[in-house]
Amino acid sequence: MKTRRDFLRSAVLGASASWTLPGFVDRTFAELGEAARDRSVQISTGKDDTILVVLQMAGGNDGLNTLVPFGDDAYRKARPKIGKREKDLIKLADGIGLNGAMPFLGSLFKEGQLGVVQGVGYPNPNRSHFVSTSIWETADTNNRSNTGWLGRYFDNACEGIDPTVGISFNKSTPEAFGAMRNPGVSLSSPELYRWIHGGGEKAQAEEFFSELNQPMAPDDEEPVAGGSIDMPAGGKVGAVVGESNLDFLERVALDAQVSSKKILEVASKHKTSVQYDGTTIARNLNLVSRMIAGGMATRVYYVSHGGFDTHTGQVNSHDRLLGQLDSALKSFFTDLRQQGNEKRVVLMTFSEFGRRVTENASGGTDHGKASCMFVAGGGVKGGMYGNYPSLTELSQGDLNHTVDFRKVYADLLGGWLKAPGVERILGGKYEGIGMV
Amino acid sequence: MLPEATGSWTKGEARHLLNRAGFGGSPEDVVKFHALGREKAVEFLLMPEERIETFPLPKWADLAVAMEEVGDAMAERMKMRREMRDMTPAEAEKAKKMAGKEQRMEQRRHAIEAQGWWFRRMLVTKAPLREKMTLFWHDHFATSVQKVKQPVLMMNQNELFREHATGNFRELTQKVVRDPAMMLYLDTQRSSKENPNENFAREVMELFTLGEGNYTEEDVKEAARAFTGYRLNRLNGDVTQSRNAWDGGEKSIFGNTGKFNGTDVVKLIFKKERCAEFMAEKLWEYFAYENPSTEAVKALGKTLRDADYEIAPVLREIFLSKEFYGEKAVGTQIKCPVQYLVQMLKEMEMNEPPIGFPIYGQAQLGQVLFMPPNVAGWDWGKAWVNTNTLLTRYNLAGNLTKGSFDEGMGGGKMRQAFRDRMKNRGGKTGAEPVFSEIANVVVRNDTEALVDGLIARFISLPIPEKARQSFLEYAESKKGISFTDKELGELCHLMMSTPYYQLC
Repeated sequence: MKTRRDFLRSAVLGASASWTLPGFVDRTFAELGEAARDRSVQISTGKDDTILVVLQMAGGNDGLNTLVPFGDDAYRKARPKIGKREKDLIKLADGIGLNGAMPFLGSLFKEGQLGVVQGVGYPNPNRSHFVSTSIWETADTNNRSNTGWLGRYFDNACEGIDPTVGISFNKSTPEAFGAMRNPGVSLSSPELYRWIHGGGEKAQAEEFFSELNQPMAPDDEEPVAGGSIDMPAGGKVGAVVGESNLDFLERVALDAQVSSKKILEVASKHKTSVQYDGTTIARNLNLVSRMIAGGMATRVYYVSHGGFDTHTGQVNSHDRLLGQLDSALKSFFTDLRQQGNEKRVVLMTFSEFGRRVTENASGGTDHGKASCMFVAGGGVKGGMYGNYPSLTELSQGDLNHTVDFRKVYADLLGGWLKAPGVERILGGKYEGIGMV
Repeated sequence: MLPEATGSWTKGEARHLLNRAGFGGSPEDVVKFHALGREKAVEFLLMPEERIETFPLPKWADLAVAMEEVGDAMAERMKMRREMRDMTPAEAEKAKKMAGKEQRMEQRRHAIEAQGWWFRRMLVTKAPLREKMTLFWHDHFATSVQKVKQPVLMMNQNELFREHATGNFRELTQKVVRDPAMMLYLDTQRSSKENPNENFAREVMELFTLGEGNYTEEDVKEAARAFTGYRLNRLNGDVTQSRNAWDGGEKSIFGNTGKFNGTDVVKLIFKKERCAEFMAEKLWEYFAYENPSTEAVKALGKTLRDADYEIAPVLREIFLSKEFYGEKAVGTQIKCPVQYLVQMLKEMEMNEPPIGFPIYGQAQLGQVLFMPPNVAGWDWGKAWVNTNTLLTRYNLAGNLTKGSFDEGMGGGKMRQAFRDRMKNRGGKTGAEPVFSEIANVVVRNDTEALVDGLIARFISLPIPEKARQSFLEYAESKKGISFTDKELGELCHLMMSTPYYQLC
């Protein structure tokens, strides 16, 4: 029988790898950071870097009733029942108004902190939720890519940063985070984001736990250290083609250990005086603000607001969803201002597609094509971007896009996150539209 | 035909089949299942003795009863409307809100009851494949109570899936076209000649039968016209195709032209070879592993076509195939949350979940029965696991094994509600693991036998010797004078807090 001492000596990463003291891991990251300095990659300190918040409006947001071309006769004709009138809108430009359920975004626009992209989409649009979501998240209109646009940013530009470089407040990992090496982490409740062991001798149990959750090589080989740093991750759900489920699980287990301590610490630090609604989106934006206030080195946060698939009776439901979003954003940006972080954060919304110009018989709208995006924050050059698509020259009853969404990504990656190699990340050359 | 499994039928193989075609079992369950022999074991799964009626639906889920209630509710609303004439507008608004609220509360209660009812059935049924296939169809023809609103319709759909669990795929698809829950979920209910709704027509082809790229946008538009006019009678649950709302004109689908209705469209779809291969591949991936070879898909697709879309022959071929028991298949599947929860209870010798455990576990791990995230169903395999859900799995295991008692139950309302309920029961959560069956006194005195027994109980794949040593060391350090239930629970918890335990 080995003694306890022997056991610890033989443990994968030695005593320093214990659950409560991920010192080894921190050191590893520091070393990698050192090594990366000479290359064109980013080192994040968590104090002064820019941050991107990506907000998904899942289900296909009706751009025409979000950003309303009220001055266009064709709009009123196409939507006799569900169309918005001028008096219900917040006027942004000639003949174009913002849905009245979004007063906060209206005020941000007036302050010059809201960029509105009109007619955004991509060539040969797909009307399936799943395919089109994939296209937006992978930034590959052929829908062949195994990695997401943000995952490729983590891989290419953020070497040396631990898995918390990207945090998604979703139960599942967004496809946008799919990466070859570092797919970020997902969490829904920071307080529970740890291994809870109730027995006595806690620290001891945690050492065993820690070892069992390191990648274990076959018995005669030395185990590999540092999960997502050395081993390929990737794929739409964070795994490369060919990676076995066991390898994948071992890597996730290590990532969970590494990120858990940090996130717990940070989440308990910051308390805000700003009131947030009880909606999921408000709750999650509150978590994002706590992470930012706590000084996480995270560059990208990802949150979702669902329910936009408004095939029937959309008038009330669509306005309600936009109102929830607006209220959550109001709390979030107020919070950031109080923290003094408003200049560091830009938030981008996206949805997989817009909806059909003509309303359907059920008082709703079917899947469409081009729609609108919002880019908000202190670092944004506010105003209208792109042109409103024609409501009479349609493709199969849908709006044609005037701005490729990858141009917006190019702005955010290159202009805002200052990522090197944007062309490589986006798989092509896209001129930004100068929003940041 | 796939090459058949030959040679001896091992206990490991029996366990693998029970894991995949059902929800696993205790070591004793595996021994009994193994004793049947390979072919009898497969037949036991495909032709279960247990009748569907063995588990009666909750009373509220009886369609006749529910429809009567709908009628009553309508009468109630009429009455209220009359009464509201005498109220001020503010009072009337309030009364209306209250009535709606009560109904929503009841629906919520029923939805939760339905989730618990099905979960328990999975746990104790003697026809595990029937439930596993019901879960398959629920994911395949995904429908969520969040949109449908009426749990009674979800339960009736659930029974439909159960009745056709290993039956005919085409017949089931025809029934789904006219299934009230599906109609409400994909908005066929209001689709009409003047304004066809494409939602259902698109998903039928993309998700239910052919897959992306095997139809055109024109096919979707034309099929949407054929699917117009289906109407659900909310008073008796009948579905008819309204003459007025149906587009009776000529449609052209996959190069066929005619005055098709929905039934005709389904027939046309099932004539396409792709349809059989699409389903064969999905079944193989559900039971064996992802990305099967083209030959395997072709072989199983042919079996499905030859059997005129009967599912049972395909399943028989899968479960008797050599490949199903090969290295690529055994111990390589990431348990879906429902599998994870049900199997864990079985392995802890429990035939009743603790109160609140199924609902809480489903919600935290991301697979709530009757609430798939969208019409494509859940994302399977690696998508179940991220840093968050992995830690949650570990903590749920701690909760069940008492390795961490109620600490793993999370924060907020859910935890409070759970604690309150426990208090009402004198601190008991109801069911508990039967530790005396997990390890008897004799075994508890032999650390090595204890650890090896537990590994065999919990883990479906060979693990590195290092991991085994780790368990041994931990057991040694915990042992003290003897192994109490508490320490045994902690050891079980540690074993479950590993990547290995996530696989079956």
